[in-house]
Amino acid sequence: MKEMPTAEEVVAMLREEGIADLEDGFAADGNLFEAGMDSMAVMQLIVVVEERFGAVIGPEDAGRENLETPEALARLIGRRTA
Amino acid sequence: MTADVIVLGAGSAGLAAAVTAAREGAKVVVLERHGFAGGMGTASLVHTFCGLYLLGEGPPRLANPGFPAEMAERMLRATGDDGPVRMGRVWVLRQHPVEFVRIADELFRESGVEVLFHSEALRAERDGDGWTVEAVCRGQRKVLKAKALVDASGDAVLADLLGAAAERTESALLQRPAYVFGVQGVVEAEEGLALAGRIVDGVRRGELPKEALGLHFRSSGRAGEIFGSIDLSGAEEGDYDPLDAGCLSRLEVRGRQVASAAVDFLKREAAGWAAAYVSHWPVRAGVRESRRWIGRHVLSEAEVLAGTRHADDIALAAWPLEFRETTRGPKLRFPEEDRAAGIPLGCLMPRDLDGVFAAGRCLSCDHGAQASLRVMGTCFATGQAAGVAAVLAARGEAVEGTLLRLRELHGSPE
Repeated sequence: MKEMPTAEEVVAMLREEGIADLEDGFAADGNLFEAGMDSMAVMQLIVVVEERFGAVIGPEDAGRENLETPEALARLIGRRTA
Repeated sequence: MTADVIVLGAGSAGLAAAVTAAREGAKVVVLERHGFAGGMGTASLVHTFCGLYLLGEGPPRLANPGFPAEMAERMLRATGDDGPVRMGRVWVLRQHPVEFVRIADELFRESGVEVLFHSEALRAERDGDGWTVEAVCRGQRKVLKAKALVDASGDAVLADLLGAAAERTESALLQRPAYVFGVQGVVEAEEGLALAGRIVDGVRRGELPKEALGLHFRSSGRAGEIFGSIDLSGAEEGDYDPLDAGCLSRLEVRGRQVASAAVDFLKREAAGWAAAYVSHWPVRAGVRESRRWIGRHVLSEAEVLAGTRHADDIALAAWPLEFRETTRGPKLRFPEEDRAAGIPLGCLMPRDLDGVFAAGRCLSCDHGAQASLRVMGTCFATGQAAGVAAVLAARGEAVEGTLLRLRELHGSPE
């Protein structure tokens, strides 16, 4: 079982994959949608998370509460890898 | 048939150029291949005006006065929207293709532009001080003469007809084409993130083709109508070549296949989609980049990213560099301090020709700069400038007067 990623790792992933154009030191509780992540980027995100972490994010997970901030996303990935 | 100015293409740049030139008192003829104007914003169903507003915080501010501002105003009146909407770090104005067509008809009529729909330029050549252009409509040819030409064809068609300097980005780097289609019958339906999750799930399970991964839907602003958009690779068979009929044909068919499969899938699985249907296809897939003119100034990606201004800027480039080199969604690059770069007059002037002006997405710039300049809001602005420049050229006056005339008409940009 893999460990849940940190919010910093999530930010790094979003930047490396070009999913969101985040500044250096983007806050763990920063709002990713306000930073420009849209539903199209979310599709890429789901694919990348599956590739990198083996975490399968289903349609029922794709809500703001799970995707809005790096820390929420880290928690979701942790739950879906477990 | 004799005119002062002939404009090739009635997309956003050609519309702006033609209407502006006619308002300056010129006799203007426009050649347009479809039965309506608007180009990408109508035939390809691209339903937002990008590049109209400056970047940065605070309320939206129009980047370019004159025709772009007038189009924004007319569109707002038509759609009934309150104003532009913020999407991440940019402002966009929702526009409806049906309204765009009607507004363009009105603008042509009010300004006295003669429009020849269903016409394509077949040949163009120097003729004394002016130009002869041969247009064809269903095999029937028409010879037109003018003192100045504007190439707003999107594909720098005139550069090819005249054998003038032009360039193309290598196929692998070309911005991928958009495929936009209309959908109706969706009621109180699953949308946004949940729908995005469902589509990924459909691809994962093999129910949907891979291309559906970029599919997203946006309300058209009309009750019960939405638009679906996907980026395609254009490389369905062989390399992407936006000037090759065979390649474009495969692209159109693939767009319809992916869209049909996606709507069928959502009908089966997504709440509120049971009665959904594709209500209209685009007349053509939305080509973002193809051939460009090489002008006296070739605006570079570095200039746009640095927000560079020039002494002879005729418009501002207010949209970030929006790369679509893959189908995995847009990659935006913003200029330093969100400062809009200037587009100098030299970008509209072919390197080796007088009396010809380029406008819209085929003006003179490199691949990176074009990723910013191609959007409709900016095309309105470069088209407007090309219209003014063409009238000056047609009158035998110095084209450098374009800046002064634009300022007289509309004030300075920003």
